[in-house]
Amino acid sequence: MTTRTRRLRRRPWISSTIAVVFCIVWAFPVYWMVNTAFKPRAEMLSTTPHFFPEAPTLENFFTAIGRGQFLVYLQNSVIVVAGAVVFAIVLGIFAAAALSRFRFRGRRPILVLILIVQMLPGTALLIPQFLIFNSMGLLGTYWGLIFAYVASVLPFSIWVMRGFFLAIPIEIDEAARIDGASTWQVLTRVLFPLVMPGIVSSSVFAFIAAWNDYIVAFTFMKDQASYTLPVWLNSFTVSVGGDMGTDYGGQMAAATLFSLPVVVFFMIIQRNLVTGMSAGAVKG
Amino acid sequence: MIVFVTLLPIGFLVFTSFTNYNQRTLFTGAFDVVGFDQYAAVLADEDFWLSLIRTILFTAALVVGSVAIGAGMSHLMTRLPSSLRHVTTVVLILAWAMPNVASSIVWSWLFQPQYGVINWMLTQLHVFGDMTSRDWASDPVLAWVCIWLLVVWGAVPFIALTLYAAETQVAVELKEAARLDGASEWNVYRVVVLPSIAPTILLVTMLSIIWDFNVFNQIWLISEGGPDGATSTLGVFTYTTAFSGNLQIGAGSAIAVASTIILAALSAVYIRHLVRSGEDL
Repeated sequence: MTTRTRRLRRRPWISSTIAVVFCIVWAFPVYWMVNTAFKPRAEMLSTTPHFFPEAPTLENFFTAIGRGQFLVYLQNSVIVVAGAVVFAIVLGIFAAAALSRFRFRGRRPILVLILIVQMLPGTALLIPQFLIFNSMGLLGTYWGLIFAYVASVLPFSIWVMRGFFLAIPIEIDEAARIDGASTWQVLTRVLFPLVMPGIVSSSVFAFIAAWNDYIVAFTFMKDQASYTLPVWLNSFTVSVGGDMGTDYGGQMAAATLFSLPVVVFFMIIQRNLVTGMSAGAVKG
Repeated sequence: MIVFVTLLPIGFLVFTSFTNYNQRTLFTGAFDVVGFDQYAAVLADEDFWLSLIRTILFTAALVVGSVAIGAGMSHLMTRLPSSLRHVTTVVLILAWAMPNVASSIVWSWLFQPQYGVINWMLTQLHVFGDMTSRDWASDPVLAWVCIWLLVVWGAVPFIALTLYAAETQVAVELKEAARLDGASEWNVYRVVVLPSIAPTILLVTMLSIIWDFNVFNQIWLISEGGPDGATSTLGVFTYTTAFSGNLQIGAGSAIAVASTIILAALSAVYIRHLVRSGEDL
């Protein structure tokens, strides 16, 4: 008998039962979000909950998209997130290359600093950014948000990509040099293609961080037309005079639409998730 | 660039914490350097101390809860048949992937007083009596419970998957040897597995302290720090001081600097580890 089967023979049903209960509890909120999103209003506002939509409908998705200027907010989110990802990756890859391939004064303090910066409370960076962007006239603009997101994801991108650079043996650089490549060519022709998986992982992380941000966008973008999707998502909540004005069906449909790309990306990079997260001590 | 995007703002933050920067300044640009006055005012403010105590207690409750559940789950996963283990992994990744803005609003709906499914379930249990119109967000204790569940729900996947990865590295022979010597399952875990994954547990604990100390979105979206400031942590207090009412940005900066220092002190072990590992970077 192998170790494995023997281990399983020991009261396997207890472990399995706990696991099943855990899965139900942990999956429940997501299930409930999707379930509500497909329910007609009458089923949603019922004192006895319906565990499956009896008359599934896309109505909530249409009201959600019809609320405010969904396409404008989507466009805002896409522009800002794409800008942040591109800047963070381009700056990050050169910084990571420098920090892994060259020895220079101040290298070690910079590395420690990168890790410590991750610990700063989000609200601590928010205040100075607000003031600086205010004086530069960047509040309420795409650039303001892009800079703020780059500031929060860049340290992590550098850290992750540096890990990938370190994994490439220095002999590869040397071989390329002997073949007559310049430093620039070594970087762009040899090293960058090799760190592609690192670029993909850190882009996804940067995407998720920027896509999910609520508070920076909420604070900087006061004009309705410049809302991003998370701000739009929360705009369904009506807190004045109880929450009866909140359209929960529409909101759950909106939340489903909003979460979908993130879930897809998570599934894509799931293999790198754990190593990337613990290696980089990323912000939550 | 690092200097530009992070050091400059931090320097600016420290500078504004020594000024009386406020709403008027945003329009006129005028402010005075007031030295340590903001800090004196903050330290004399009862709300600051209450927020600090709340933040520390809440962080402790979150860290203990999520690390304990995460460690339990990771150990359980090593004992599951592989099909069920895959299902568990998918569920964990799903919960992990949910943006916290989305999960926060889903929470508001789950806990919605009249039509929320949680109140309905609790009523069906017949343990707590009729819960059908219980408003979680406006009760100080229940608001905490609600936010605690939300944050722990989101935090467990990372912890469980990280610890699971660590636990699979523990040599099977060691566990087998202990079992042959007659050790109970609990003793195998305590004596063999736990010491091997201790560094990883320390890592996730430190990261959890840092993240949980800085939890903002979930609190803000569920209760905005209410009812009556009962769920206001340092992050929320910083934000409301600096960005609502008359925008006391100088005071907000002082709170932000103070909370950063407190967090740094709480995670001194981790920082020391970072600095030390920095020596062989």
